[in-house]
Amino acid sequence: MVLNRLEKYWLTAVAVALGAYTAALIAGALVFGIHLPSPVGRIDPQKLDSTAFAQPGIHNIGGNRYEAYILAKMWAYDAGPDAGPVGAPPTLRFPVGSEVTFYVTSKDVIHGFYIEEHSLSLEVVPGQIARGTINFNRPGTFHIICHEFCGAGHQIMYGQIVIE
Amino acid sequence: MQATLNTTEPGKVTFPALDMLRSERNMIGAHIVMSLIALTFGIFMGPFQAFHRSPAFMASFAEFQIPVFSYYYQAVTVHGVMNALFFTTFFIIGFTYYVTQRSLQRAIKSVFLGWLGFGLMLVGLVLCVVTVSADPQDASVLYTFYPPLIAPPTYYIGLVLLIVGSWVATANVFITYLEWRKEHKGERSPLAVFATISNFIMWDIATIAVAIEVLGMLLPASLGLIKVTDPQLGRVLFWFFGHPLVYFWLVPAYISWYTMLPKQAGGKLFSDNLARVAFIMLLVFSIPVGVHHLFADPGVSEVSKFIQTILTLIVAVPSFMTAFNIGASLEYAGRQNGGKGLLGWIWKQKWNDPVVAAQLIAMLVFATGGMSGMINASAQLNIAVHNTSWVTGHFHTTLGTAVTLTFIGILYWLLPMIRGRKLFSTKAALWQVYSWGIGMTIFAASMGQAGLEGAPRRADLGNSPYLTDLAKNWLNLTAIGGAILLVSSILLFVNIIGTIFFSKQPVVEGAPIETRGNPNAPAILERWSFWIAVTVVLAIFAWGPVFVQAIDFNNGWNVLRYLPSGLQLK
Repeated sequence: MVLNRLEKYWLTAVAVALGAYTAALIAGALVFGIHLPSPVGRIDPQKLDSTAFAQPGIHNIGGNRYEAYILAKMWAYDAGPDAGPVGAPPTLRFPVGSEVTFYVTSKDVIHGFYIEEHSLSLEVVPGQIARGTINFNRPGTFHIICHEFCGAGHQIMYGQIVIE
Repeated sequence: MQATLNTTEPGKVTFPALDMLRSERNMIGAHIVMSLIALTFGIFMGPFQAFHRSPAFMASFAEFQIPVFSYYYQAVTVHGVMNALFFTTFFIIGFTYYVTQRSLQRAIKSVFLGWLGFGLMLVGLVLCVVTVSADPQDASVLYTFYPPLIAPPTYYIGLVLLIVGSWVATANVFITYLEWRKEHKGERSPLAVFATISNFIMWDIATIAVAIEVLGMLLPASLGLIKVTDPQLGRVLFWFFGHPLVYFWLVPAYISWYTMLPKQAGGKLFSDNLARVAFIMLLVFSIPVGVHHLFADPGVSEVSKFIQTILTLIVAVPSFMTAFNIGASLEYAGRQNGGKGLLGWIWKQKWNDPVVAAQLIAMLVFATGGMSGMINASAQLNIAVHNTSWVTGHFHTTLGTAVTLTFIGILYWLLPMIRGRKLFSTKAALWQVYSWGIGMTIFAASMGQAGLEGAPRRADLGNSPYLTDLAKNWLNLTAIGGAILLVSSILLFVNIIGTIFFSKQPVVEGAPIETRGNPNAPAILERWSFWIAVTVVLAIFAWGPVFVQAIDFNNGWNVLRYLPSGLQLK
């Protein structure tokens, strides 16, 4: 099989571009520390009462670092009593500069957990704990949006994060 | 000119160039017409969804309802299932029967299997449509149908019948090809058949996973035989199948671009060998990449996500090769047509021939689809776009335009062949092609932008409380794209109905079919047992760890079943 000269140039350019792409991905993970959701642990959605999700809410774990336990269900997020009345879209408040690790699981079907303008996008699969960490570096109000179809009320499933 | 196919001596059949043999016409015509019926259900749900999501449109027409399938998620389900599953599969199998018979110059091996496959898929289509019509809310689980949302059993049975019917059709093509091979020892098959075989092998391997998901998890759960499922395992099984699915759609479009378009454009294919290499790469690399749909999943390790990202970059290579190969072929054709200078060949393409123009526009839009696909597939950028309407924008450039517009281009010569009459209106076809290109570009680009502004995909955004003003503006623009596409779709169906019922002129042009393979193609490329082994080994390497991680060996399944209306099934 003989390759045409121009085609050789083209394939070389493609190889170089894809190589650069791979390098950027590796740099993203190792240098810039961008991580994808990875297994945290399983959980039995029928026995949530014996887990941290029995009482969802925000915990300060020292300084500007927080952990937020959130339970997704048809069609609301439960982020504990401090985030507003049960069943209503919750409002989570953090000071500017907070580093928040979200632990999210679902009581029923698959939901999504996406935060506007921030690099957090989780599939909330029942039976699994989803985890993601972000730094909130600027003030503002950002929606949490369910971005995985979860039934008839999918479009009204959301919450808010207020950074002040 | 009509003759009956002599199936006992398939090698002896002579195929008329301008007419079709009766059994050929019936079989292929049935598949193509069913694909168009599925498309009718699917296509018109598109623009109306776009209207429904547009705040400006809904402010002006508060009473607006999506016609026929008026519940939003029902419209999404019908749009996805009918367009992406039934239209594509019926069309691909009909087109493949034509290509296989004509390229190999022999009848398909079994007329019975042909009709059996057709019948199974037809019953599947009816079951799906009836189920989603009868129970709008609880049957609308979209075409990804993830557990633990459970639809009525007939929905899953319909999907199983589609898959099984397609298996029967692929078997029919395989045995036809094997018989040809026995009689043509040492010869290379025509490129179109080569590509078909690689595509169908890939399809048969990939669909095993979704068959396991439906038969082992969803259907028993729907029937009440099991009370629990494992949603993470369900998603893994689905996406083992889900990404090869998009190549199953794309390869027939590539078959047209590689083996037909060069001729239609007035030239010849630049390199047959590299085309074969590209198709083999698509077979081997389209399965071990599906984890790039699971980047946001909690139950899949980062290592697997990374490995499959790299493999995804490799599966882009055959598409880059295609861009060069087809580009060079088109340049040659353009120069044959009188194009001078560096870019003169571009203007000398047959932009006024709907068959050629459809494929050229499909390719131009596909260039953007390939780029946005690279963004989706790169693990870290994916976080920014995952499950937003950006993704919807992306696959309306790939499936919605690269594939669909190419299929429409094929339809513009294949339907006249089947009917034995010229295309009803070339002018309407041209308007259809260009309006599709423009409408889809507007739609896809603005869906993409809305996604970057945080609009989630497949949510009834007309009723969402959380959209930003910017996202709303982009959604208004998608409705304009949708309106153009509605006009384009109407033009398409005017031509289809016109060609079938009102066209009077006979067909004057033969089909662009190659009957000989390139004798210099390396023999290894057609040693299928070898490539099947490579494909399976690579699939096990890439997916094995994902499955092991997704299966809960200690506790088994523990997630209860729910209806989309919110009810928990006891």
